[in-house]
Amino acid sequence: MEYLAKLPRVFCPESVVVVGASTNPDKLGYHVMKSLVKGGYPGRIFPVNPRAAKIWDLPAFASVDEVPGKVDLAIVVVPAQAVLGVVEECHRKGVQGVILITAGFREIEDPAGSTLQEQLRQMASGWSLPIIGPNTFGFVNLKVSLNASFTSEFSLLPQGGIALVSQSGGFCHLSGFRAIEENVGFSKVVGLGNRCNIDFPDILPYLADDPDTRVIALYIEGMDEPRRLVEVAKQMMGRKPIVAYKAGRGQSGNSASKFHTGSLAGRYEIYRGAFRQGGILEVGQTEELLDVAKALDCLPKLRGNRVAVLSSQAGPGMIACDVCESNGLQLVGFSPATQQRINELLPPLAIRTNPVDMGPAWYNPGAIVGIMEAVLDDPNVDGVIFLAMYASANIALAGKMREYFEGREPLSKPLVACFSAPPEIWWEDIRAMDRKKGVVVLPTPERAAKTMAALWRASLSGG
Amino acid sequence: MERFLVGIDAFEFLRKEGFPLLRTRFAQSVDEAVQLAKEIGFPISLKVSSPDVIHKSDLGGVKVGLRDEEQVRGAFQEIADAFRAMSASGKFEGVLVQEMGKGTEVIIGAIHDPQFGPVIMFGLGGIFVEVVRDVSFRLIPIERKDACEMIRQIKGFPILSGARGERVDLEAIEVILMQVSSLVIDSSQIVEMDLNPVFANDQGCAICDARIKMKG
Repeated sequence: MEYLAKLPRVFCPESVVVVGASTNPDKLGYHVMKSLVKGGYPGRIFPVNPRAAKIWDLPAFASVDEVPGKVDLAIVVVPAQAVLGVVEECHRKGVQGVILITAGFREIEDPAGSTLQEQLRQMASGWSLPIIGPNTFGFVNLKVSLNASFTSEFSLLPQGGIALVSQSGGFCHLSGFRAIEENVGFSKVVGLGNRCNIDFPDILPYLADDPDTRVIALYIEGMDEPRRLVEVAKQMMGRKPIVAYKAGRGQSGNSASKFHTGSLAGRYEIYRGAFRQGGILEVGQTEELLDVAKALDCLPKLRGNRVAVLSSQAGPGMIACDVCESNGLQLVGFSPATQQRINELLPPLAIRTNPVDMGPAWYNPGAIVGIMEAVLDDPNVDGVIFLAMYASANIALAGKMREYFEGREPLSKPLVACFSAPPEIWWEDIRAMDRKKGVVVLPTPERAAKTMAALWRASLSGG
Repeated sequence: MERFLVGIDAFEFLRKEGFPLLRTRFAQSVDEAVQLAKEIGFPISLKVSSPDVIHKSDLGGVKVGLRDEEQVRGAFQEIADAFRAMSASGKFEGVLVQEMGKGTEVIIGAIHDPQFGPVIMFGLGGIFVEVVRDVSFRLIPIERKDACEMIRQIKGFPILSGARGERVDLEAIEVILMQVSSLVIDSSQIVEMDLNPVFANDQGCAICDARIKMKG
């Protein structure tokens, strides 16, 4: 589709016009300007507002027509009734795409909202104009420091390889700020809102080609053409992993209530099957979406389901083993050479086979690192879960591990680590290890193990 | 207009399409039922066959495990009486005489979802589908890989893979799933299909009962 070819320019514009820019903090147009300016967007920014001379210290224009030169992206935050006129102006100006933040379209009870959106869709289709939204928070492209949203703090997101595409702006805020806390890195975060003419299947091919994106994370509520998503995902299979979180599972509107076996079919169950068919990895929680996307972004491929659990305390190790085993991972026996190396480093005071209880080596971070290295080298082991809870006696551990990872080449198999430590302690070392060299850090043993299991599912589905 | 193919009509349709079926014959009279039961071999089951009856067992229209001529005669009469009691206007056409299925009951269905269009479903029969909704879905058309995965996706899969002692012929189930998918794609008439139950054992699969919703 011709209009989709404009998406690369829409996400990396050389100039942006903000229609409905405002000096009033009670207006979204103020916050969009703040996001652009504070986010450090290096391109040209043109605020449009007929009643202001300057906005955020930039000269304002009375209309889009009056903006000098070429404009790639229009961010529109005018009232719904003014939108058609503004979009037409944008088209005349030759903008490559519109982000329509304005609400009051298909999502409202009044059928006039749907009518307006349909008019908009038809206009846009005639002009080959991509419109993201309406009713969206906007998007951020972290690589080019473009925060085209009404929340300036999205610029604080860590940069990474995840493109999050969400039907809900609220979900972007929920997961975005969790992601800052948990060091999950994004290439882009996009709110699709009411999906005028950019729906999930429309944006996927662009993201598949996007060099900044390694993993695509989707938050889906409902779609008009869900089959199209599966078809597009299927074409993309093997290129970039797609992880999806589907909300709205308790559908009362049963798709086939009239037919006996069909009456058991909730739509969600069909989505699940369809996701599998399209090679889309399904997750069931916000943190799971972030964990799995983070792991797929930063870790080498898990080549088999044989994992090792190394824990500096027995309890967390047991928790991880439980989750591994109930999610299709196998706690494999070590090769004789590995077992020999472990036995040399660890006194026979605790379990030395998989899962390894490294408790007896508390005072000896060098031994713990040695055990980890031995297990990483073991050809029987496809992936490693490493767990360390802080105790006064093992304070030197995180620093030693950081030193080890900084000094070596990237791992060829995934290592998912979980640390728990009081505020300030280990924190810097943990951050220094996270998302580098084939290591990611997750908050709990359950999440670490569940994420490892998801990597295995991803490998099986060719992602 | 939509109509249902049930009873012997559904069986004839599926037989022509090459689906594996339990040996099933249609008997209009009690003597004919006895004759066919002997040909098929005891034990057998009798089922009412009439386009007016969608839910056979609710009506008392199914008698299973009949071991000899006397039981067949008794069962035929009971089914005929139950039918007449229930449906004064409907026409009692006869019964299906069917060999008894062996193995694990599974269900295979095709439905038309308003959002996704044609969708195929697989599940374990009986309590598993009714109580725990242990079913899996895929969009039609499916590939062999999808058929394979959707069988393994259900929670009750260990029952099929031998947890209860008997391992069933999974490939035979996959073949039926593929057949249903192709049939729905190729036929412009089929709206929905309900193969329920299908008996699966280590020798293969056989459809025990079927309803097919057709256009026109």
